[in-house]
Amino acid sequence: MHKGTFFACEMKKEWAMVVLLTIFISVAGYSQRQGYRPIGDLATFKKQFAAESSKVSSIESTFTQEKVLTALTEKITSTGKFWFKRSNRVRIEYIKPYAYTMIMNGDKMLLRDDQKENTVNVRSNKLFQQINQIMIDCVQGTVLESKDFSVKVFEDEKTYLLELDPTARSLREFFSTIVLKVDKKDFSAHSIEMNEKAGDKTTILFKEKKLNTQFSDAVFAF
Amino acid sequence: MRCLLFESIIAACLMGCASEYAHLQKTQTDKDCSDKILPLTIETSWYDASVDVVGKHISGLLLIKNMPDSSKRVVFTSEAGLTFFDFSFSKEGRFSTVSVVKQFDRKAVIQTLQRDFALLLGIPFLNNVGQRYTTGDDVYFGFKEKNGTAYFITNKDCASLQRLEWGDKRKRLVTVRTPGSGFPTPALIEVDHHTFKMNIRLTRIQKE
Repeated sequence: MHKGTFFACEMKKEWAMVVLLTIFISVAGYSQRQGYRPIGDLATFKKQFAAESSKVSSIESTFTQEKVLTALTEKITSTGKFWFKRSNRVRIEYIKPYAYTMIMNGDKMLLRDDQKENTVNVRSNKLFQQINQIMIDCVQGTVLESKDFSVKVFEDEKTYLLELDPTARSLREFFSTIVLKVDKKDFSAHSIEMNEKAGDKTTILFKEKKLNTQFSDAVFAF
Repeated sequence: MRCLLFESIIAACLMGCASEYAHLQKTQTDKDCSDKILPLTIETSWYDASVDVVGKHISGLLLIKNMPDSSKRVVFTSEAGLTFFDFSFSKEGRFSTVSVVKQFDRKAVIQTLQRDFALLLGIPFLNNVGQRYTTGDDVYFGFKEKNGTAYFITNKDCASLQRLEWGDKRKRLVTVRTPGSGFPTPALIEVDHHTFKMNIRLTRIQKE
């Protein structure tokens, strides 16, 4: 083959690679937020989000949690019950396939497994405080005010998608991003996806949500 | 009388100071029995984990995973999903840390967990020849390592594995028991340390 033809052929191959790579990267980027578009006016959204989510005074729901260990192609799915009452009170009760309860009530937190229970003052542990606050902020709609994250907001027909990039060093050690999906119809949390640095992912999907119903404060007592 | 008291104290001290493995009688090896018990394997499983260490309690989920390349991974996560550590044992038994969060990243913690999981996964028994010992109804197979000896213990008729142990020259250091169903699908695993307060309890999770 003539040297020039050879180079032309190689150049064509390289271009083809570049084009393929560009398509691949675009598709990969697109598929991450597939079906979502960035919202136009973040400031207006923030105001609307704060106003609408403040109308949610309580949530009672079931949930499904899926933890995926990407590199090991393993996943474990658990189910349980969830309660939230404004402000700063959350109970997460894992029922299957293991029993575990977390109650966050103001500055105090209870962790109960089938062997023991621990009470933690979250003020004495910054990491606990931050992780505790993520859950509270996500369900009571105050996450956009958090200084621990920078936020990008997208939307589709039914949900808003809030992509939270941790700015706090202690959170960056654990999470690459946290993705919160919020139902447009009532501004309640639809799902929380926690992406870890190593590629592992935990998604909590809220189901059978009942908003603003009456239930006893004893749910959060310990 | 005073002399008798003194002798009793000395005798008690000697008994107390005597090696816990001094009563083991070295015998000829028994390859058939060793081959029957080894290699120890645990099928890929998730466990509900509970750890008590010097008055502190930690719980979470532990994954033991057999990889396609014959290496083994041990991953500990919180119930809410956060990965605390991911350890790997190669096919040949070499240990490495794939990831570990700052809270667990202490040399003493990692070394302790490495030894516990190595024993549970039968790593010390992989490339060595064991010495057989007997005592009473128990039959010990000891495999010398750098920092102690790993034992698997069976009964005289080699019917089943009784327990696993780490020991040094004088003391029993760690015991691993699997009450109820044994390897390769133990429903319950108990790891007890004898030189400081630490125990690990793993209950197999039936995935839905």
